[in-house]
Amino acid sequence: MKHLLSLLIFVPVAAAFIGLLIPSTQKNTFRYITLSVSLIQFVLLVFVIADYQAAGTEFRLVEQTPWITLDLGAWGTLQSHYFVGLDGLSLPLVALSVFIMLIATLSSWNIDDKVKGYFTLLLILNGAIIGSFCSLDFLLFYVFFEFMLLPMYFLIGIWGGPKREYASIKFFLYTLLGSIFILMVMIGLYISVQDPSSSDQLIHTFSIMHMKKGHFIDGSILHPLATPSLGPFSFRGWAFLLVFFGFAIKLPVVPLHTWLPDAHVQAPTPISIILAALLLKVGAYGLARIVWPIFPDQVIYFHWMISFIAILSIIYGALNAMASKDLKILIAYSSVSHMGFVLLGLVSGTTEGISGAVYQMFSHGIISALLFALAGVLYDRTHDRLIINYSGLSSKMPVYFSFILIGFFASLGLPGFSGFIAEVMVFLGAFKSAGSNHLIPAWMAILSVSGLILGAAYYLWTIQRMFFGKFADKTNSALPDLDRRELLILIPLAIAAFVFGLFPQSLIDVINPFAKQLTDLFASLTNPY
Amino acid sequence: MQLSLTDQLQWIADSTSILVPELILVAGILSVILLNIFRVVHFRIYGAVAIASVTLSGLSVLLHWHTDPVSLFNHLLRADDFSSAYKLLFALGTLLTFLLSLSSGTSNKPAEYCSLLLTATLGANLLVMSTSFIMVILSLELISISTYVLAGFHFTKPGAEGSLKYFLFGSAATAIMIYGISLLFGLSGTLNFTSSEFVSHLIAQHSSLVMLSGFFILAGFLFKASAVPFHLWAPDVYEAAPLPVVAFLSVVPKLAGVAALLKFTLAINLFGQSFFDWQTVIAAVAILSIVVGNLSALAQKEAKRMMAYSSIAQAGFLMAAMAPLSLQSMQFMIFYSAVFLIMNFAVFTLLQQFETTYKTTSIHALAGLAKTALIPSVLLTMALIALTGLPPTAGFTAKLFVFSSIWEAFTGTGKSILLWLLLIGLLNTVISLFFYLKIPFYLFIRANTLTEPASAKSFTFTNLLGLVLVIALFVFFFYPALLMGWLNRINFVL
Repeated sequence: MKHLLSLLIFVPVAAAFIGLLIPSTQKNTFRYITLSVSLIQFVLLVFVIADYQAAGTEFRLVEQTPWITLDLGAWGTLQSHYFVGLDGLSLPLVALSVFIMLIATLSSWNIDDKVKGYFTLLLILNGAIIGSFCSLDFLLFYVFFEFMLLPMYFLIGIWGGPKREYASIKFFLYTLLGSIFILMVMIGLYISVQDPSSSDQLIHTFSIMHMKKGHFIDGSILHPLATPSLGPFSFRGWAFLLVFFGFAIKLPVVPLHTWLPDAHVQAPTPISIILAALLLKVGAYGLARIVWPIFPDQVIYFHWMISFIAILSIIYGALNAMASKDLKILIAYSSVSHMGFVLLGLVSGTTEGISGAVYQMFSHGIISALLFALAGVLYDRTHDRLIINYSGLSSKMPVYFSFILIGFFASLGLPGFSGFIAEVMVFLGAFKSAGSNHLIPAWMAILSVSGLILGAAYYLWTIQRMFFGKFADKTNSALPDLDRRELLILIPLAIAAFVFGLFPQSLIDVINPFAKQLTDLFASLTNPY
Repeated sequence: MQLSLTDQLQWIADSTSILVPELILVAGILSVILLNIFRVVHFRIYGAVAIASVTLSGLSVLLHWHTDPVSLFNHLLRADDFSSAYKLLFALGTLLTFLLSLSSGTSNKPAEYCSLLLTATLGANLLVMSTSFIMVILSLELISISTYVLAGFHFTKPGAEGSLKYFLFGSAATAIMIYGISLLFGLSGTLNFTSSEFVSHLIAQHSSLVMLSGFFILAGFLFKASAVPFHLWAPDVYEAAPLPVVAFLSVVPKLAGVAALLKFTLAINLFGQSFFDWQTVIAAVAILSIVVGNLSALAQKEAKRMMAYSSIAQAGFLMAAMAPLSLQSMQFMIFYSAVFLIMNFAVFTLLQQFETTYKTTSIHALAGLAKTALIPSVLLTMALIALTGLPPTAGFTAKLFVFSSIWEAFTGTGKSILLWLLLIGLLNTVISLFFYLKIPFYLFIRANTLTEPASAKSFTFTNLLGLVLVIALFVFFFYPALLMGWLNRINFVL
């Protein structure tokens, strides 16, 4: 099939429009439309993976057609393409998106208010997320990236918890601020980069491929050899800082993380799942796809700052998680901590570290979805998430308890789960970096291990407080164990956490070429001899 | 250069034939007044005449497109690419205003209403064609006097207050402007600011008087564009005037003011040879307008008042589009103007829908109305998203173009003010999101605490108009070449 990726992106969008024609009283129709879209995407994904394995180039399943071509006279031509394709970085994330959207749809089954609007927004969000993971044109990526914000804003704002108004606008403003930073750099890059295929005419292009290959126009201010500077840094330095923090807000890193706990706590369960599993990955994806390949020199220049932010996120996130009284906030902060590992892996500039970072993106997607789904189960029953209000739940809800154990142990990085593989690879990368290219100082590499210890501490303490001891439930709710729909959501996630923990090789094989290529880029800059 | 009487008569005759779009407007104004003499009372009849006249005027602009500039009436006016493009926009804006007025139902004093709107459009047309200060003052006053009256067309106390404020501010601004023009006339010896005489005389003058008179003249244009510091009239006028008039005020006179400002700035900047840096002034005013407009809009509780501040900020963006002072930036400015026209009319059209159904445009009163009026709520959200400048709307494309040309100009000249303009302009997008989103926030997220609102009809003319405008915003996002390809051919001559 020729247009697999386009189908994957636009089937949900088309379904959203078809859904608009159906009267809003047909609640079940919307649920089944969304579910069937997810299932169709699943089938498409199988074809995508088959095609991906068959091809041998760096980017596979590429589709490229001109989108905007404007002849601007003396100024050259503005060129943006509808340009999508997959490589070792995007394939795992696209697969994760399809999987998580299916889980989120199932988890949305009990949404009963304004069903039509909810599922329409969910479908649009679905298309935008997959679109941004596939885009190889900066403008196209940016459009998909921005297009996620509005559905997310309404999904949190309309279907969220009591403080949803505050949380949704905070989420929107933070992310928009980040995307404005990105926009600035995008404009700067497209003015500085040309498509070298046409020699007689200056073509300004948005293609990430050309930006990555360094097709800068001589004398443009973002040229790697450009000298003009503004204050302490060169223009490239400023551009790097802007685009780095633009994506870092989304990641999020400390101290730009404060939107995350609010958004997570107020969002309904399926939206929390999408937020943690997919939207945070868009930030990490942006770093790995755009910032690292286009500004490798600046990554090296700012390596200390980036490593420090990564360590800060790991430790500060973990400490906050330990101090959280609310189960969902705890999981949210653990996300901050775990995304710190992604950043640490990326900045190491080693194959192990970068592979580990991508593996961590994938693995955290599955585990955080599992955790938020579990938190949602409890909230559905009691409408209370305060850890202190529960104890001895294991006796009342044994099946739930066993899933909690799986989720918590997977998240704290116990061997046998996907999180372990990812974190081990990141540590390997960090220590190797401390010993070879010195992008991560040794003390930071050592300190990062404490993230694991803290993780074990807050999870085990929570298990002890909530599930052991004498049964008590201060909310006085009926506490039935998991029903069939909840099992249907939790079992695939738990299995995935196991499978990618026990059999990591196939995924590593996919990621490795990407990591290798990025490592070579860094190696060429750090070892000039 | 002294011309003989016959030559002059010949020139007038030739010039008149080129003024067909304006003559059609004049014919429209006269026929509206004639109809009034015959005591026609139906608003629809007046509306039809007025619509016919603006449509024909717009069509004749298209048919008589002057790629090569033609000077008229002994260099008082000039028909060229640039003015034709703006005249087309004015015709479109006025047409939309009339459609909006008709869909809102009756108007007291329909003849006066229609003729004044047409007169203001005529003034706008003449203003963008002006090459002489005399014509600038005349056409500016033609716009001003008609809009002073229109601003009070609700005939309420707040309406009168707004109108009076507008009048006082306007008179002061015009007076300052005329003083500046008289100074400049004395310094340059000519009223024609596009002549080589003007430029050569001013290059020789290194007097700070040139700078001062330039600033004085800016006052008049900035007032029309409602840019800081001549913006203070806007909120009161917008709040109290009828909605279609507000929509008109926020687009047609503003665009006319900005377009004429561009011509004047290029002239006073003397092709970059001026000893005083006017580019910095334009950029500074743009920054101020964007910041003041956006920050003041944050606290507003009334949709029309909020849109007044939004339009101040948008005036800043229009000036930002102009700031690079290059051919490219001028084309982008026309693109931004066109998109701005569509966005603003879309917002006002949909606000009109809410006003006719619920009799209020207070933002708080919109709470929970998405339940009963889903279609206008969704459309309004899209239009506001476009004003913020987010994809997938043409508002994003327009801002992208503007910021690209500023960035390009910055790399070319290295002027730090342009970098500040870029940074502040972009950061203000985030601030503006906060208030633009307020309306969707109340519509969709806040629950209605009052009684069950009356259910609204979905299929109204106003909604259809809003839908068409919003679709246009999407179309220009996906195919900007539709508009830009055509604007690229526009050439600019001072």
